[in-house]
This record gives sequence, C-alpha cells and structure tokens, in this order.
Amino acid sequence: MIQLNNVTKYFYTKVGKKYILQDVTLTIPEGNIGILGRNGAGKSTLMRMLGKIEFPQKGRIVSENSFSWPLGLRGGFVGNMTGRSNVKFVCNLYGKNKEEAHQIIEYVKSFSELGDYFDMPTKTYSSGMKGRLGFGLSLAFDFDYMLIDETLSVGDARFRKKAKEALKKKIEQCNVILVSHDMKTLSQMCQTGLLLNNGELLYYDDVNEAIEHYKEINKKGK
Amino acid sequence: MKLRNSIKIFFAVIRALFLRELEMRFNSGRSGLFWTFFEPFIQLFVFIAIHVLITGHSGKAVHARSYDYTVFLASGFIAFNMFRHILNSTIGAFKANRGLFIYKQVKPIDTVIARVLLQLFLTSVIVLAFLFIGFFFQLANIFPKDVAMVLLGYLWLALFAFGVGLLVAVGNTFFMSIGKFVSIASFGLLILSAVFYPLSIVPNSIRNLLLYNPLVHFMEFIHGYYVYGLDTHFVDYRYMLIWTVTPPFLGLWLYLKLEKRIISE
Repeated sequence: MIQLNNVTKYFYTKVGKKYILQDVTLTIPEGNIGILGRNGAGKSTLMRMLGKIEFPQKGRIVSENSFSWPLGLRGGFVGNMTGRSNVKFVCNLYGKNKEEAHQIIEYVKSFSELGDYFDMPTKTYSSGMKGRLGFGLSLAFDFDYMLIDETLSVGDARFRKKAKEALKKKIEQCNVILVSHDMKTLSQMCQTGLLLNNGELLYYDDVNEAIEHYKEINKKGK
Repeated sequence: MKLRNSIKIFFAVIRALFLRELEMRFNSGRSGLFWTFFEPFIQLFVFIAIHVLITGHSGKAVHARSYDYTVFLASGFIAFNMFRHILNSTIGAFKANRGLFIYKQVKPIDTVIARVLLQLFLTSVIVLAFLFIGFFFQLANIFPKDVAMVLLGYLWLALFAFGVGLLVAVGNTFFMSIGKFVSIASFGLLILSAVFYPLSIVPNSIRNLLLYNPLVHFMEFIHGYYVYGLDTHFVDYRYMLIWTVTPPFLGLWLYLKLEKRIISE
C-alpha cells in the first residue's frame, strides 16, 4: 500500500511552475499498477519519487513496502566500471555475502546475454545493452514493488519476449509499477492503473478503464 | 531496531563505494597505480637533486641545526600529497558518482567519505613502503621521533582535508568555478606550505605571512614530531582546530540544505 499525503511536486520552467502533482492525497492499494500520462506529465518523476531519489516540495509519500530503484533506460551505471563490477557494487550495497553475490553475478551475466561485453566498461554499451544489464540486475533482487520505466521496450524482439516472460514470473512474488506507452503490455501486466494529468493523479481499479480515459485525453489533446 | 538497520546500511554503502574506488584505481591502467606510488619517490628525487645542486652536499646535514633532509622531505611530501589528493578527489565525488544516486541507499556524502578513506588507505600503503625501504637501507632516522603524534598529525590533516573537500564539493555542484580555483590554488600551496623547507629558515616577515596558511601549521606539526632536530614551536593548535572545525560544519550545513537537489540533479 502506498499513501500520498498532500503531495505537491513542481518544476520551474521559463513560463513558471510546471506542476507534476498538485496537492494530491491518495491511497493506492497493493497490486500491479500501470502509470499512464502524456509525455512530460511526470511519470518518470513520479517513479523517482516512489524510489526516494526525487522529493516532493510539499507533503509525504508513505509506504511500509520496499521499492526497487527506478529501472529506467539510462540504467544507473557508472560508465568507467565494467558490467560485472556494477553488479558487484549493487550486491555490496544490499549487503550480499560472497556466495550470494557470485550467484547473482552469474545470473545477470547469463540473463543479459552480454557475453564478453559483461567485462567491458558500461560506457561502451549501447542503450539496449544497458537496458538488458539493468533489467537482469533488478530481477536478481527481491522487492515488494518493482519500478519499471519503459525498460520492457529494450533490446530486440526476442529479448523483449524473454524479459516479459521473466517479469511475469517475478510478479508472482512481488508487485510491479510500470510506465509504458505500450497499452498491450500495460493491460497484460497490470490490474490497476494510475493516470497522471495536469497535476492530478487518478486511480482506477481496472487498468483498462485508465487506458480508456487516457485515450480520451489524448484525443482532446489537453 | 530501525537505527541499527540504518547504521548497517551506511557501512554497507561505504564499503561498496570504497571497493569500487579501489577497483577503479587498479583498473584505470598502469599509469594510475604507477603514479600513486611513484609520485612521492619522484618528488623526493627531484628535491634532493635540487638540494645537492644548491648546497653541494647530500641530505644528511643542513644549516647549523642538523637534521635529515631526506626524511624531512618524505614525511612532508607524503602528508601534502594526501591533503592534495583528498581535496582533488572529493571535489569531483558527486559528479563522478552521479549514476549511483539512483540507489536510494547511496547518499552523496557517502561518496566523499569513501574517497577520503581510500586516500587514507593509499597513504598508509605509501608510508609503509617508505618505512620498509628505509629499514632495508638502514637509514638512521627513518622512524619518527614520536609515532603517536605523527599519526595524530596525519589523521588531523585528513580531517582538515575532508572538511575543506566537503565544502568545496557542495559548492562546486552549484558554482562550477570553485573546483577549478581550488585545483589551481592547491598547486601553489606546495610552495607556500612549508613542505620542503622548515619555517625556521624563513625570514621573519615572510614567516608571519605564511603562518596564516593552516597547512603550514600541519606541516610544521608533522615535521616537528617526525624529524630529529626539529621542533613544533611555530604550531598554533588553536588555529589548526578552528580550521578543522569550521569547514566541515559549514560544509555539512550546506550539504543538508542541498542534499536532495544533489541527488536529483
């Protein structure tokens, strides 16, 4: 369960404050949640706030659950470290012992299918490779909520399919919060939906309702 | 329960960051590691060569009060290098680790602490190497006059560097030029910090000016307790204390105000 209490978040732009959330109070029940919104509505910012690496100007986001780091296209890797040492770093971060770390490294290596690139600096990776590494890495850890921002669309068709299968298996034990522009993926993976529009955050018990509403907003163009 | 947990997380983060920095040091090609360990040897070689050219005799005895110039140089340069490296590496700590702030456990200040610890570690390895070489060649005065005080001097200097480094790192995030200014200034500091000369040979008028530089006090402190034949009577402990307390407090205050902005930059 996630609780938003009077949460306000805005950015300064040239024309004034741009609100992502404007005094939002909302309780989001447990479940797999799809986040919808037009480009620039603040979906990624919302994800980052849930991951506690971005902070609202007012109000609080409260939850007793654990959240993964927001899994985005950019990864969260340091360019001059190899894929392996990036994985090792996260294992150390989460206090894994040597044996566990070894297992995780092997798992990520085989899942990401990076081959020799696994031992090369991540700055040599393409964005698809970074996405694969990041996706494999997050699957190796246990959270109550996985925060996934568009990463299901990385790699080639075959890898996308594999990633989806792996995620489906993973969400038997945990929940996922998913940002995607692919409505099919959203309705497959999620049961409930959140719609972010003009500083408002709306909750839907049925993700398909959220998708319908989103399409309406998109048509009107505002 | 909660507190214990967060302390545990803190140590796990520091450990992970420290290992990462160490690994990067080893993987950054031979040049990085080479310079880390040979920098002081080269400095020593150059300054002893200059010394021989000027005075005409080797580092054994200088001026009326005789002391071992080689040991004097070594203890000064290693300490000064530590200060310079801590300062330079902490300035860039936030920027170099920005990709890691995606993990909520990693607070920006942890990256500064990890880098300070790494420099402390590298410095101790270098010190051990020097002591080992000194023993091997049976240099007479290689061991410090007062081990505990020298150790205190080094740690105190590291604390001073940490404070200044934190302050500059926070400042550098929002005012780019501070970091560049400090990098340039730290070069000039070598001449103005009593690293390769004792204050006692400096003329009175200049000495009084030099004493405004806090590093001079640290250098005199370390030299005075390391080298036989030197003392610490120019050292102003109160001045050192002011310089070790003020920057970290100012830095921490600024940091706490700006932490969230640094994370989500």
